[in-house]
This record gives sequence, C-alpha cells and structure tokens, in this order.
Amino acid sequence: MASAGVMIASLAACGGDEEGNGGGGASASGEPWILGTTETVTSLDPAGSYDFGSWNLQQNIYEQLLVIPGGETEPVGDAAESCEYTDPQTVECTLREGLTFSNGNELTSSDVQFSMERNLAIADPNGSSVLLGQLKDPKADALAEGAIETPDDQTVVFHLNAPDTTFLQLLTTATTSIVDEETFPADQLLGDADVVGSGPYKLSQWKPGEQAVLEANENYEGERAAKAPQVFVQYYSDPVPLKQAIQNGDVDIAWRTLSPTDLNDLEGADGVNVVKGEGSEFRYWVFQFANKTVQDKAVRQAVAQVIDRETIAQDAYDGTVEPSYSIVPPGFAGQKNSFEEKYGQPDPEAAKQLLDDAGVKTPVNLTLGYTPTRYGPNLVDEANELAEQLKASGLFNVKIEDAEWEEYQNLYKEGAYDLFALGWYPDILDADNYLTPFLRDGGFYANNYSSDEVNNLLDEELAETDEAAREEIIGELQDIVAEDVPLVPSWNGQNVAVARDGVQGVEETLDPTYIFRFWEISKE
Amino acid sequence: MSARSGSLPRYVVQRLLLVIPTIWLIVTMVFILLRVAPGDPVSAAVGGKLDEAALDARRAALGLDRPLIVQYLEYLGDVATLNFGQTISDNRQLIDIVVENGGATLTLTLGAFIFALLVGIPLGLVAGRYRDSAGDVVIRIFGVVTYAAPVFFVGLLMQLWVASPLGWPTSDIASPITKFEVEPVTHILLLDAVIGGNWDAAWDVFQHHVLPCVTLGLLLCGVFIRLVRVNVLQTLKGDYVEAARARGIAEKHVIRRHAFRNALVPVVTVVGLMVALTLSGAVLTERTFNWPGLGTQLYQYLIARDYAAVQGLVTFFAVVVVLVSLLIDIVNALIDPRVRY
Repeated sequence: MASAGVMIASLAACGGDEEGNGGGGASASGEPWILGTTETVTSLDPAGSYDFGSWNLQQNIYEQLLVIPGGETEPVGDAAESCEYTDPQTVECTLREGLTFSNGNELTSSDVQFSMERNLAIADPNGSSVLLGQLKDPKADALAEGAIETPDDQTVVFHLNAPDTTFLQLLTTATTSIVDEETFPADQLLGDADVVGSGPYKLSQWKPGEQAVLEANENYEGERAAKAPQVFVQYYSDPVPLKQAIQNGDVDIAWRTLSPTDLNDLEGADGVNVVKGEGSEFRYWVFQFANKTVQDKAVRQAVAQVIDRETIAQDAYDGTVEPSYSIVPPGFAGQKNSFEEKYGQPDPEAAKQLLDDAGVKTPVNLTLGYTPTRYGPNLVDEANELAEQLKASGLFNVKIEDAEWEEYQNLYKEGAYDLFALGWYPDILDADNYLTPFLRDGGFYANNYSSDEVNNLLDEELAETDEAAREEIIGELQDIVAEDVPLVPSWNGQNVAVARDGVQGVEETLDPTYIFRFWEISKE
Repeated sequence: MSARSGSLPRYVVQRLLLVIPTIWLIVTMVFILLRVAPGDPVSAAVGGKLDEAALDARRAALGLDRPLIVQYLEYLGDVATLNFGQTISDNRQLIDIVVENGGATLTLTLGAFIFALLVGIPLGLVAGRYRDSAGDVVIRIFGVVTYAAPVFFVGLLMQLWVASPLGWPTSDIASPITKFEVEPVTHILLLDAVIGGNWDAAWDVFQHHVLPCVTLGLLLCGVFIRLVRVNVLQTLKGDYVEAARARGIAEKHVIRRHAFRNALVPVVTVVGLMVALTLSGAVLTERTFNWPGLGTQLYQYLIARDYAAVQGLVTFFAVVVVLVSLLIDIVNALIDPRVRY
C-alpha cells in the first residue's frame, strides 16, 4: 500500500503457488471433498445476504474485484487487474481481459456497475447493501448519481460519498460480488438454484438447508484455480451431528462451529486433525452509560483493572481463545494493546485505589448480562468467571442475569444490565470495522457513550491516506477506549477447522477473513 | 337410505366444516404467539450488527412496522386464498418447502409407524395374553420407558451405542453422493432412488432411515403396547370369548380369532390421535439426526423468527392432523359397525 494518496491492489501481488497451481484456467484433478458446517444460508444472490454461510459460498461462486489471499491481509486483484485510489474519494479499477461467467456470458465493467446498482436498489432486508453506503444516494435506496462510471468495458471508476480508506477492503467482500446482468433481475433477487458467477466454482446442485454441490468452473481463468473438481457442502442443524460426521468420516472437513469442548475431544483423535488459524472474532463486555452505576469512569476503569482475561480464556474456553487487550484485534494495522499498557496485570488493589481516589463507595452493585442463545455454550462460563473475579476483589456486588437473544437485545439497550456481553465478526479486514460501529454515538449497541473527540478521530482515520498517520490515529482511539472504557475487551477467537487425514490446504485458508477458500483445498 | 346409514356422510360434512374454525383458531394462535415472543426476523438475523435505525428500516421494508391488525388480516386473506407466500429469512416459497422437505418427514413418520406397529402390537398382545408373567412385566417396563424417554435422548443413545459399533449412518437422509445422484421426481428420496433404478442409492437411503425411524418408532411403540395390552385383557373377559370357549373352540383359536382381532380395532382410532404426537416427535427426531424434513425446517425458521415460514408450516401441520383424524374416524366407522355418529 503506497502513501501519498494512492493505495493500490494489483494482480501482480498474487501469482499462484510454487507448483504452478493458480492462473491459466482450472486444473481440478483431485478428489471431491465434503465440508460440514452448522452455518445457514440466507441467499446465494449477493444482494440478499449478510451472513457467513451465504458469503462463504458466494466467495467461491463469484469473483469480486479484489480478493484477500489466504494468510494475508491486503487485497490483491481478482476480477480486477488492479484497483487504485486516484484521490481519497475516487477508486479506479481495471478488469482482467477475457473474463466470462460460467454460463459463457462476457463479464465487463457494465456488470460491475449493475451488481452494485441492483444491490442498492433491492435493499433486501436480509442483504448487506448497508455496506455500500459510500455509493448510495443519501435520499433513496439507489446508486448515487455518477457514483460509478464505466468509461470502457475494462474500466470502473468509483466516486465515493466521502473519503474512505477502507473501500478496497470492501471490494473483497461478497456483497460486491459481480453478477451477470443478463441473468440477474435488476429489481429483485434471483432464485438460489439459478445463480451464475465467474468464480472458481459454479453451483451444480442446491438443496436449501441440506446440501450444496459445487463444480469447478471451466471458464475460470484467474488465480484462484480449483484444485478439486467437486465440493460438497453439508449443512448441519447442530454441532453434535457435525462432530459425529467428522469423527465417522462422513465429511472431510468440519468448519464452523464446534464448541471448545468438542474441539478438545477431537484433539488427538484418530484420523482427524484440529487445525487452528488466526481469527478476528472479538468478544467484549459493554458498559451501559444510561445506568448511573457505571457513569463514573472510575467504576469502569476498576472493572478493567480487575478482569483476568488469561483465566477466562483458560477456564471458560479451555484455552481455545486468546486474551484481548484492545478494541482492535492483533494483526490489524495500528493495533496496540492499550488496556495492557494502561492497566497491566489484574490488580484488585490498584482497582481499589481508583475507586477510592474517585470517592466511590464500595462494594459497587453491578448487574452483568449475557445471552446463552447467541454466542455459544461457553459464554455462561465466561460470565460466571468474570462475576467471580469481580466479587473476589471485594469491590463489587455482582448479579448475573441472562436472557434469550431476542429479548436480550432489547434489555441491554433499555439498561437492564450495567455490563453486558457481545461478540463481533468484522465485515472487512480493517481496524475501522472495530471502531466506527462501536464508538460513534453509542455504537450499534446503543450504550450511550458519545465523544466528539472520538467522532472527529474516526472521521480523520477514514480519510487519512498516509498509512503511518492513520495508524497513529487508530492507536490514539484505542488509548481513548482504554481510558474511557465504554467496553472491556475479553478475548479474540481463532479460526478453527477439523480435517480428516489426507485433506490439504485447510491451514492456508484459516485466517481472520473467515473466507473458506474451496479452491485451496484438495484431498488425496 | 336409513337414518343409521346416512349418519356417516352427515358427520363427514360436519367435520369438514369444523376444519375451518379449527384452522382459523390455530393460525390465529400462532400469529399472536409469534408476535408476543420477543424479537422479530430482522433482530434475529442482524440484531448484533446494525444500529436501531438500520434495523427499523429493514422492519419497515418487510412491513413489520404496520399495525398488527393489518398484518393479521392480510395473513388471514393469504391463508384463505391458500397463498402462503415465501419465507422472510431465505426467500423460499412455502409450497416448495412442503414439497421438497415433506418427503423426508413422510418416510420418517411412516417408517416409525411401521416399526411401532410391528413391534408394539405383538408385544402388547403377548403382554395381555400372559398377564402378570415375567414377560408381561418386562414388556410393560419397556413400554413405559420408551414412551417416557425423550426422543432426543433415545436418539443420542442410538447414535452412540448402536450406530457407531455397527458403522451405521448417524445423521441425514442419505450420503451426499446419493443426494447428488438421485433425480428428484416425487421428492421422496427412497422412492426416487427406486424409480431411477439406483439400488445402491436406495440401500443407502434405507440405511439412513433405520435409526431415526426406530427412535421415533420407540416413542409410538410404548403407546401401542399399553393400548393393545389393555384391550386384550378386556376382550379376554368378553362374553363372546367365554361363549367361544364354551363351544369348545381351541384356546389358541379363541385368542387369535376373537380376542386379538377385537383388541386391535381401537388401535385404528388411536393411530389418528397419534399423528400429532408423531409430528411433534418428528421435529425432535429430525433435529437429533439432522434429518432434512419439515421438523428441521420449522425449528430453523423458529430460531430465525421467520413469521411467514412458521405460520405456514404450523398451518400445514394442523391441516394434516385434522384431515388424518377425520380420515381415521371414517375408516373406524367403516370397519366397526358399532361406531355411530
């Protein structure tokens, strides 16, 4: 990524592997393999989904302009040869020559414009058109006038509503998948079984909630050449049968989501390997500023001073997660462990000093909230562990309450809890995706935290094209979070899969993007 | 036509007319219960990602911000015109769900019924015939346990203790390859495999059916055992049985031709009542075995708070239960001359 206002993602950065796999057409000569997952699919039309299960298939069926190769964080060319900022509000992409969809139709810049335009126009309630806000007409569900130009078949120019240094990352997401304008309707979703893309795989069978079968796309000529001729995706309603399926060899890979207990059971089991990669899942505890108890900063800081993340990771999650010391997970540009720098090791004495200095009477009554029906079975253990730690400090009287997810969402916004647990997966691999949604005017979780300083810094980091300067602002924001404590980071998750012996390429695809790159996987 | 012979058609017409308020009551209850429960399809899908304004915009796009009475009347209109529309969470036509996933539920429940009949009735007959013997006690305990044990628990035990040692499939209706190969004609996979002449696929599908059908069948089995046993005990005390004995008919003939046959008549009535039990058991069985039937779909759509899907599927289940009950009543009247309406 270059400074001085020009950031570039180009095809040259991505060149296939050393064996020559990648580029120049598909050579899918391996064995078919089967993926088992508990994810669900909302829609295979990119305009109709905003969930892991759908996006995962779409990443394999469609091309996006850019793609993030396994294990890397920066986008490189996919359908585009290159994309670059010509100014902070303008991105120009040049498409590869000779792109075609799996049905043989030509893929041109017009298809790219059509894809974004219909996504915004449909604005499906299950969709992710909200991510295309930089191209949206502020007054309507439509593409802004002149937001996309296509001067020729190979060139697409994006004019953004505001400076946004994360736009190249956005062009890697499934919501920007390129669809065939001759196949997809402009104003409604296409049926799942009929979708057509230009990615390394094409859909050959679709049984909703049951099974997807993908076959290597013989028209695909890009860098993501399929290694297996056929991939089966089996959908499971529950982790229990998924665990049995991988143990029995009914599936070759189990990915998302087995519990930490299941994963520990499978470690060392015959014929299977638990493969762990870096993740970007973020678990955190949010303070509700509407509640008087936690309006005093000293109370929030005291909680941050007491929490023992190592113990939570070990005791509640069997060591399958990493303690988190910042609102931004490790691996992102500008990340720093601000909470560790400010609070050091868990220290009840230091916490007591904070409260005493602020004149806060102890013990402080605190209500902790969590939901047992959204973030896996171990959150209850985490909540209990945190409550015990706070109680053991002698500084807090803690009451734990829980609610089913649907009710929980209302309760935490209404102030039923002083401190409540939430989880997050990023839409794009950029530190801002952990900052703007959380910190601007109370965040999406409506915790009533608001800071003009933070809002201004968020605007600045989004507009800043100088990488070093932007990282500095991001660091500053993390320090403010550690000081103001609108939330307490708890842990960062890993990207974990279980693979049978003989399956290769899984480790390479397990990274913070959570894209499961079918094209990388082969089976002996 | 005599008054007696004309009573059945009149009864059928009455029952058919009663179907309408029954269905109305059910769809109304489902509509209200879904709205009373916290959450909605939007918060279930993206509640942890978007702010309240964005969530409200999506609710408005789905029409969920309109007054409940408007939504209710619109829904009643759709039901009246048999227009169940499409699901909110994944844009599937309700009719497609019933067609594509109904076959799996049908074969599961039929298989369970067959198992229950084949096992439950003979055991009930034996228990009734040899009342208070050791065999009777064992069979009664077996019947109580299978009826009382939760389906999902029995299913897990089956998977761990039976499937794993024998190498039988523990989940799903078929292997991925079979599902890929078999051309859907009737959407009943076993039947489609047979129609296609793919015997390997048919065997694969049959193997996958064994554990789920046995698990659900055990639940029904307990009911049959208890029912048949009691009926055998009653018929053995009947005057006609005594009369047969008095006429010097051999005891084995008395038991087979008089006691057992008459003891089985009430089973037909109970089969109708058990359709609802079977369908509720099927939901749990399907979830345990990752079975791609309507029960699994219903569960998933409940989690997604998909109003349209849940309302449509529950209505379908209600119609099935009501119609099967009606059918059983008619059959019962036809086979048992004593039954009058």
